[in-house]
Amino acid sequence: MTSTVEHGAETQHGHPAPRRRGIFMRPGYLRALWVTPLFFLIGMYIVVGIRALAGWDPTYDWEYIVLIGGMVTAPLGFLLGMGVFDYWLYWLSGRPTLVDDHANHGAYRWTDYFKVNTDHKVIGVQYLVTTFFFFIAGGFLAMLFRAELAQPGMQFFDTQTFNGLVSAHATLMIFVFIIPAFAGLANFAVPLMLGAPDMAFPRLNALSFWMLPVAGVLFLASFLAPGGAFATGWTSYAPLASEQPFGQVFFNMGVQWAGASSIATALNFLVTIITMRAPGMTFWRMPLLVWANFTTSLLVVIATPFIAGSQFFVMFDRVLHTSFFTPDNGGYVLGYQHIFWFYSHPAVYIMILPGFGIISEIVSTMSRKPIFGYRLMAISLLGILVLGFSVWAHHMFVAGMADWLRIPMMISTLLIAVPTGVKVFSWLATLWEGKIHLNTPMLFALGFISMFVIGGLSGIYLAAVPIDIHASDTYFIVAHIHYVLFGGSVFTIFAGIYYWFPKMTGRMYDERLGKLHFWTTFIAFNLTFFPMHWVGLDGMPRRVADYAGTYGALNMVVSIASFVLGASVIIFLYNIITSWARGPIAGSNPWRAMTIEWQVSSPPPVFNFDEIPQVVGGPYEYGVPGARHAVLKGGALQESHV
Amino acid sequence: MIHRGAIIKMVVIAAVAATIATLVAVLIPWLPESASEQMDRITFVFWFATIICIGIFSLVAAVIVEAVWAFRVQPDDDTDGPPIHGNTKLEIAWTVVPAILVIAIGVVSAVVLSKNADAGNHPLQVKVFAQQFAWKFEYPGHVQTEELVMPLHRAVKFEMQSVDVIHSLWIPQMGQKQDVVPGITTSIVITPTRTGRFTLICTELCGLGHSTMRAPVRVLEEAAFEDWLAKEHAAGSPGAAGAAGGAAGGGQSGGAEAALGKTTFASAGCGGCHAFTPAGTDAQIGPDLDGLVADAKKAGEPEDAYIKQSIVDPNAVVVSGFQSGVMPTTFGKTLSPEELDALVAFLSGKEAK
Repeated sequence: MTSTVEHGAETQHGHPAPRRRGIFMRPGYLRALWVTPLFFLIGMYIVVGIRALAGWDPTYDWEYIVLIGGMVTAPLGFLLGMGVFDYWLYWLSGRPTLVDDHANHGAYRWTDYFKVNTDHKVIGVQYLVTTFFFFIAGGFLAMLFRAELAQPGMQFFDTQTFNGLVSAHATLMIFVFIIPAFAGLANFAVPLMLGAPDMAFPRLNALSFWMLPVAGVLFLASFLAPGGAFATGWTSYAPLASEQPFGQVFFNMGVQWAGASSIATALNFLVTIITMRAPGMTFWRMPLLVWANFTTSLLVVIATPFIAGSQFFVMFDRVLHTSFFTPDNGGYVLGYQHIFWFYSHPAVYIMILPGFGIISEIVSTMSRKPIFGYRLMAISLLGILVLGFSVWAHHMFVAGMADWLRIPMMISTLLIAVPTGVKVFSWLATLWEGKIHLNTPMLFALGFISMFVIGGLSGIYLAAVPIDIHASDTYFIVAHIHYVLFGGSVFTIFAGIYYWFPKMTGRMYDERLGKLHFWTTFIAFNLTFFPMHWVGLDGMPRRVADYAGTYGALNMVVSIASFVLGASVIIFLYNIITSWARGPIAGSNPWRAMTIEWQVSSPPPVFNFDEIPQVVGGPYEYGVPGARHAVLKGGALQESHV
Repeated sequence: MIHRGAIIKMVVIAAVAATIATLVAVLIPWLPESASEQMDRITFVFWFATIICIGIFSLVAAVIVEAVWAFRVQPDDDTDGPPIHGNTKLEIAWTVVPAILVIAIGVVSAVVLSKNADAGNHPLQVKVFAQQFAWKFEYPGHVQTEELVMPLHRAVKFEMQSVDVIHSLWIPQMGQKQDVVPGITTSIVITPTRTGRFTLICTELCGLGHSTMRAPVRVLEEAAFEDWLAKEHAAGSPGAAGAAGGAAGGGQSGGAEAALGKTTFASAGCGGCHAFTPAGTDAQIGPDLDGLVADAKKAGEPEDAYIKQSIVDPNAVVVSGFQSGVMPTTFGKTLSPEELDALVAFLSGKEAK
């Protein structure tokens, strides 16, 4: 795109080599190293300039300087330095742009993964590696506060630090692990499954990815703020959030970067899925992973602006002294919760529907059977999409909103169990009479189905208003959300990584380590989170640093199990890293799957297909004699550039 | 084709497993022993939902285990399963049956919800004032207390207000829970069914002292409750003196002020974060108030002015080793001038003895 063609691509594609620039002017880390501080200074002196002109004291108010310079302009400078905007700036300024310059496309050596890249497969891997970094960081925070909670009384942290650890744990896991990890898996798989050469907007795709580390770094950097990290939970309720120490603003702004990243990716998926399906790929022939990401993207596009708005407003209450959500001057305290949950309930589906898609792929392939009730599976996704927007206030049954609103919200919430149940029963029927290959992806898929059903059923308890009134804001909620997001989402992320690992890397992971990883995770997960149902119902509230002594024994069990759960991730990382480096060559289609990504080499060629495939049937026609999903001519099984 | 026999077999296995699981589940005291009529009903809904949920989970688990048991193949087996694409009758069944079950849970819940919100004809009205990090209760006749005392078998209707952020009132054994929201009044009904001592806890994260925001609860026989209330009323409970401070006028003696200072210290929740020997508190979240006089000297300010400023505008001077922005800044609004002066006097040690 810009002028930094260094590897073989330019000769390969026959572009004239543009003028070479010095190493500090080329897009990359060296340029980011000086553009980022420069932009910080620009932001800083906008603030200082305005304050000096207005005569406000102090002229150098560091909270505003960090907010504008550190959280707005410096990240923009970083993105500019890395080269995310170069093509667009060339175009805007009327300079020549190389329309089909693929200099930043594809990975030819490992360092290419650390640059701005427009190849959806590279971006997918970038997403996964980045999100796992934040997964480990978030898990580490969890183990810190589990150490505090192992015994009643205060041992290691003061209460504000404790609240900060809890809040940052949830925020990292939700905004910079689960949501973008799914975006990473889908980035890799969806264009291949559609028979498309890339995403519809590859440069926007790169921008989406590079905004993510900004969000994660802001969340982590809040620990350095005076007064500590944001400490109001990941829900950040007003008016508490507008009265908290400065760390709170890191949350408000981090969510903006993560949200912008999500929205841009979702638009990209929608356009890709609607316009770039291969010939013959009707909606009713799309793999369910594509269906799942289609519905998820609709949810993201519609819902995410609401959390962006809520976080801006609550931040304005703090920094601009507005009264959106403060009771003085006519603010609407419960308004925050309505807007927040109007995003954050659909966000629960944003965090599980892509997982449903992954499980559908794996269960069908590993059972060697078509998905049972394919159309109803797709329709149930749309059912969840529609119902998902009508249930937000079930998070507010005790919040003090209008009493009558609780009944319709309860009914719509209970009804979501119906399409979800359809999916679970269809997976079970797909297993039945299949030829089940019980390998690591399948173990995680079956673990997911059983654990997610527990999470779904505890959701029924919470939909029933009287039970919710008792269980709200207790450890029962913590148990429920972890059965849904860990037993649910994280299990599907693991399943998906094991399933597509041979396609991403061309190598096979170690099956024995994979199974060991599954069983340690499965057992430690249940020992960590199942007892939380009990302590919660019995009277232990969530988000407390100290608790009544009667819950001491179970909390000790939970804490020890949580450390084992943390340690189980080490097995996964060891397996993935060593297999990536020197695992056995996997071949193009180790699972004998029918979807298109398995019909090309592993890893796939840089532009996926030499010739766009022709889709001729459904994606799961296992056991149907002679059935094929797609016909590929050139490009299939051709070795990649590695 | 999925055979009817297989479906019946799995349903029977699941029913047996569910029965066993239910028998085990009822042995575990999931919920605290109920102490209110509302909790009795919540417990009923809980078990109603639990039996349905155990049944569903047993079916899912039985099918997964049986499928892996019966249909697992070796890794080198490259045959495919039968190409079954679906079964309309089965798909209708697993759409309709769960819908009926969840609607049943919904109907039971709606009925219980409306009963639990019904305060009857003669509820006892108790006002609740929540603030970071303390509870205050006001009974008819302006009797204010820091302990919640409730009469047995009489509906208590709480009218709740918060002066700063959102809190939430919950007594686990009594089930009911309600957020206390600044700017609006929320309400809740509890009808105690057994006497004893309980703990009221805040369940909405309200800042650094959240986990210490508790209040003692006592349920008394109706007659004992009336005695208690009359005694509190006659004594002019310490809290009532504060609330009625303006009416009591300047008649308060120095001794009364000292008492007021001490009760204000307790009712404003100071002890949740601060150690102060005269009040018998030893929390370590905020600075040790036994060193207040020395801190004032260090800041070079007159003692009383320093203490008052530290209560009303806590971020003006922050003791080294502590962070600004942590202590609530609302005490200037929530304490009456009398309470504030009494608290300053109590903290400076002048009137405490």
